[in-house]
Amino acid sequence: MPFEEDPAYLSKSRLKSDLVAHNVALPPAASKKEIYVELHLKHIDQRNAADFSSDEEDLVPDVADREEDPDHTEIPDPRTLTDDELKAALLHHGVKAGPIVGTTRAVYEKKLKKLLQPDESGKVNGAEKAVVYSDSEEEEEEEVEEEEQKADGEEEVEESVCTESEKQTAEQTDLAKQESSQAKLPYQNGSFPYLQCFMPSSRLHARPTSNRESKSKWNSRNAVKSSERSRSRCKEIPVGISRASSVDQHSGLGSGVPSGSQSVMSNGCSSFSSQAFSITQMVKEMESRSLISSSTDADRELNVSNVQEHRSQPIRLQIADRMKNQSVYYTPQDSPHKWGAQPPQEPMKDIIKEIFPETGTTPTGIHATRRRPIKGAAQRPVQYGYPATPVSPATLERREMERRRVPIRIQILVFLIMACILYFIYVNLEDICVVLLDSLNQGFDSEDGYSLQAETEDTQVVSGQD
Amino acid sequence: MSTTSQKHRDFVGEPMGDKPVTALSGIGDTLGRKLEEQGFDKASVVLGQFLLLKKDTDMFSDWLKDASGANSRQADSCAQCLREWCDAFL
Repeated sequence: MPFEEDPAYLSKSRLKSDLVAHNVALPPAASKKEIYVELHLKHIDQRNAADFSSDEEDLVPDVADREEDPDHTEIPDPRTLTDDELKAALLHHGVKAGPIVGTTRAVYEKKLKKLLQPDESGKVNGAEKAVVYSDSEEEEEEEVEEEEQKADGEEEVEESVCTESEKQTAEQTDLAKQESSQAKLPYQNGSFPYLQCFMPSSRLHARPTSNRESKSKWNSRNAVKSSERSRSRCKEIPVGISRASSVDQHSGLGSGVPSGSQSVMSNGCSSFSSQAFSITQMVKEMESRSLISSSTDADRELNVSNVQEHRSQPIRLQIADRMKNQSVYYTPQDSPHKWGAQPPQEPMKDIIKEIFPETGTTPTGIHATRRRPIKGAAQRPVQYGYPATPVSPATLERREMERRRVPIRIQILVFLIMACILYFIYVNLEDICVVLLDSLNQGFDSEDGYSLQAETEDTQVVSGQD
Repeated sequence: MSTTSQKHRDFVGEPMGDKPVTALSGIGDTLGRKLEEQGFDKASVVLGQFLLLKKDTDMFSDWLKDASGANSRQADSCAQCLREWCDAFL
């Protein structure tokens, strides 16, 4: 955005136009300049100030502007809304906002901004989508209009430049329009006329090969025009015109241009060379159709030289030169291009048809087929089970425990066996104990007996010695 | 969130009373200082903001990220802890 001057220094008409541009209602016509200045300050400078305040806000007004179109509601920058408006805007987007106070406002503003952005980036919902499409269409139309305007403008400029422009200007512009719209067909997506100006040269460079292709094709197909009517439709008509035009030039001008060899000579006058060129081109074009087999290298060389000659001069100049020349000039340009581009498409279509024989042709040319069921995708073995989902360490531990644990039957069995053994031992122990005790007692008794006996013996011995 | 921090459990386990803002899980010294600079000196003030945003954890964590420069993990942790506190005590 250019720097705004002080509105006080601007002229009244400038102020007026600025106000109109910013959709501000104009004051009555008789009002003084001060009123305009006031309005200017009030409406336009404010906006500019808002625009310049920060980087983020530069983006936001854009969003808001775009948003305005589909909704037909005023949703400007969230920062400029009052709390209530912000709340209403959020509610409009299905968000129930809480209290909007100092600390929460920023959050809600952000939320609103976030809600607005997905809309403009293409929400896939019916109504809004339709609006988006209509928008884009409008833009395209505008572009087309612009192109035409530009083309017209160029025509006029060239007119003044060209020395031999004696013919009707009205027809020229009319034809230029037709032509530009025709020429646009292959490049529908906004290629501007100045691009078009330079396109032919590149096309011409590719021409020899394309020509050969087309010739071979013609050979193979035995030059059946009717079969290719759809392709050469745009070609045939201009050819007719060009034929007529060539006749015109022969008779009317009498400048003696017809032979192709002359065109190789470098001519000072651009229009002259263009005439020559176009005629030779056309002649060659016709030759290439009628005398298919006689395509020679010389032919092509001629072409190339023509091209080079051509490129040295502004092409538009030649186009604007004469209305008949235009048609003559454009026909060979366009047709080889189409020839070069289209034949490869034909087999492609056939292949597609072969692959999907059951699909019918749709007006859009887009085919949608049901996807075949995938069995073991990409020939990998079918996986019936899925890898174990991650489990918590506790469950892992439990599993480990379970794995190591002895089965419960065996446990019971072991327990019973142990119980039996212990009981058996217990039962037997009593007997054993008794037996042992008895034996011990007996042992003691016998020892005592022996000792007693010994004692008695001793005493007996002592008594015996005594 | 599968596991909760000790700080989280401590905060959710009892009424917050006059706890400082750093008692919130996810809010350390740095973030606490930043919040205090903006007037959020007590955990209850942050709770007030959380309630103003209608206990919306997403919006609260957005706010916290903006206000204190917290990362998503910290903001989510704080929001979670406040939400659970609200579930327990409101």
